[in-house]
Amino acid sequence: MGWAARRIGVSLLLVWVVASIVFLAIHLVPGDPAELLLSSGGVAPDPGAVAELRDRLGLNLPLAQQYVSFLSGVVRGDLGTSLVDEYPVLDEILLRLPRTLELIAAGALIAVLVGIPAGTLAALRRGSAFDRIASGLAALLLAVPVFVVGTLLVLVFAQILRWMPAGGYVPLAEDPWRHLTLLALPALAIGKGLVAVVFRMTRASVLDALSRDFVRTARAKGLSPSRVLMRHVVRNALIPVLTVLALHMGTLLGGTVLVEYVFNWPGLSTPLLRAVEARDYPMVVGIVLTISALFVLLNLVMDLVYAALDPRIRHA
Amino acid sequence: MRTTRRALIAAGAGLPFLRLAGAQAQRTPGLLRFGLSAFPPSVQPWANTGTAAATVKLLIHRGLLSYDTQGNLRGELAEEWRNEGAEAWVFRLRPNAVFHNGEPVTASDIKWNLEQIAAERSTAYYRAEMQGISRIETPDERTVRIVMKSPVVTLPNWMASYHMGMVSRRSPAGQPIGAGPFVIRSQERGTSLDLVAFDKYYKPGLPKLRALKLVAYADENLRVAALQAGDVDLIEYVPWQSMASIEADERFKLDTVDGPFMYLLFNATRGPLADARVRRAIARAIRRDDIVKAAFFGRGSPLEGMPIQPNSEFYDPELSKGWRYDPAEARRLLAEAGHPNGFSTSILATAQYGMHKNTAEVVQQSLADIGIQAELRLPDWATRVSLGNRGQYEIAVNGTSTDNNDPDGLSNLVNGSLSPSYVRSYGLRVPRLEELMAQARAEFDRAKRREIYRDAQRVVLEEAPIVGLAWRSQGYAMAREVTGFKNMPGSLSFFSGITLEETAIG
Repeated sequence: MGWAARRIGVSLLLVWVVASIVFLAIHLVPGDPAELLLSSGGVAPDPGAVAELRDRLGLNLPLAQQYVSFLSGVVRGDLGTSLVDEYPVLDEILLRLPRTLELIAAGALIAVLVGIPAGTLAALRRGSAFDRIASGLAALLLAVPVFVVGTLLVLVFAQILRWMPAGGYVPLAEDPWRHLTLLALPALAIGKGLVAVVFRMTRASVLDALSRDFVRTARAKGLSPSRVLMRHVVRNALIPVLTVLALHMGTLLGGTVLVEYVFNWPGLSTPLLRAVEARDYPMVVGIVLTISALFVLLNLVMDLVYAALDPRIRHA
Repeated sequence: MRTTRRALIAAGAGLPFLRLAGAQAQRTPGLLRFGLSAFPPSVQPWANTGTAAATVKLLIHRGLLSYDTQGNLRGELAEEWRNEGAEAWVFRLRPNAVFHNGEPVTASDIKWNLEQIAAERSTAYYRAEMQGISRIETPDERTVRIVMKSPVVTLPNWMASYHMGMVSRRSPAGQPIGAGPFVIRSQERGTSLDLVAFDKYYKPGLPKLRALKLVAYADENLRVAALQAGDVDLIEYVPWQSMASIEADERFKLDTVDGPFMYLLFNATRGPLADARVRRAIARAIRRDDIVKAAFFGRGSPLEGMPIQPNSEFYDPELSKGWRYDPAEARRLLAEAGHPNGFSTSILATAQYGMHKNTAEVVQQSLADIGIQAELRLPDWATRVSLGNRGQYEIAVNGTSTDNNDPDGLSNLVNGSLSPSYVRSYGLRVPRLEELMAQARAEFDRAKRREIYRDAQRVVLEEAPIVGLAWRSQGYAMAREVTGFKNMPGSLSFFSGITLEETAIG
């Protein structure tokens, strides 16, 4: 129990360190949110108006004081309000985080549905035409940047074929069919990299499992080939695949920005980008804090699960 | 059937005809879908929060005046206006204008608005200008008499700005109640705004549309894709690289004007740039055609003098070409200023916007031809603004548009007595120019005013407090079926949202 408590303590410490670094970094970068907002469109704002806005936003307080009030806010579960439109940061995150999670989940679903069967087949028919073509395709998918794929998808499906809207978002409750149509292309763009990762990982892992002793034993005791494949090979092979997939999904939390931008998907990355551009300090810090807290939580859960399964970790 | 290469090619060529019925969003009668370039950060009436917000403000608010599609002033909440002497302006309100809460627009409302804008704790764009009001009289509920501290001929232009929307004095805090043709019904934060027509709008028969859906597309290519896919009917900020393909497509109309412009700024507090001859040499050395090609795909025109539009009454064909490309003259001026072999300097722009970066690159090459070695500094926009405001640069590239087509709007860019700003040169005072600009602002005689601005242009050519580079084309694109929408002339392009009250579709 002491080990778990220590591990949780370290995680909280980590989140605090990240929050502090982000807070200091964004404040130290040149640029003044009040000035920027009133300068929108390339015009010169009235200096009196800028001074008034700075004062109203609390930007004239000493940095240490802003930091303390930020930390005490976080402890109370208050991330402050946007400097641009005074909207509560926490509400913005709660509104947008589920959309980013949905996008990542949809991409992961595509990756699993395509990558695992294809990877297994490629491993079983190692060296065949399918294996070579699929492996080549996977390398290509990994190499082509996501904004190229995104733009091509829009060009083909929205502009030429006109099967799909070019991008945007409609809440699920408002119009479920249109919601899913709009989800399809960005999910494909997110999924394309994941498919490649899952495919390669599955192929390697299945190849590895195929050469194991327990597979030989299973075959020797007369199990049908399909039963050997499903129960013994694929099940064992999937453990590393899922670990890698989970890790990739974690990094996608802050990494969907290009896809969200290209498809106008109003997830969490877009406001982060906007907030950095506008020097909207509370928004930047709030979003990065959320993403890092989720990442730390993911790692913590994995650690605790491994520890529960393997006592050696607890006593190391 | 065997799959042959020929069959595949044929199938590929047939793809565009394979459109699934019903996959596209269907048009609803009376509803126009408008693709904005950004989601407006706020639609509070008086503060500047960018051009996308301006479009929304022009839909939900109205000021005393506005402009017609020719760029002439026209009445809105005020049906008549005139000056009484040099300092007083009288606005006569129309009898039938009502706010969205149904209450009439009265002189007391207008007075209250002007007081709020000028207030000490105001963040309004026209705060300083409205602080120039000495007193506001409301002899009756339809008459507003504004007395300025000093004569201002451009007050009506200020009143026509989209930053001067008038709201009910009974508006709850933070929820301004306007008198425009549309009302915001709902919004999907960061994504879209739904507006419906206001049934008691003071212009009979307007707005023609029943509803408007504004959808933000930050990515310019996606904005074009959304138009081509039929997701939206009208888009703003058409990227220059897409203009040709939209023009060639018979399903769409492209409406462009040369309005905003690019120009150079200088830090005149030190080094060679403090010398007007060096700045003039730079002005003569720039290959402006290359800027129009490189930054705007040919969609613009060279700007070789003070930024005054060719259709303006203040335009002078000769003076507007005062900085014609002439590298020999540039070298001569440099030598005269004591730099026959040039010097080293730096150019500040931003990598965040392609047009700023591409412009800076052409300037860099042009300067190299006359021996000036300039290093490019391309931080993000926020840093660029901050460095500009603090004078931490030598030469800077900027792009802007004036508040209206009156040359008075240029004071902001050339008046060195104003506080330091990234839109003005740093530490560069030209007292003669400041005098002329102030004189012109107070001159009610049009012929005399034209003469003053002619003098001002001569001083600008000589002193080069800023150096014009290129006009850039500002474009709207729309489906053929959209009628009544018009890109307003010159720097009023960003006012085009006002024509949405006369826009119809189908």
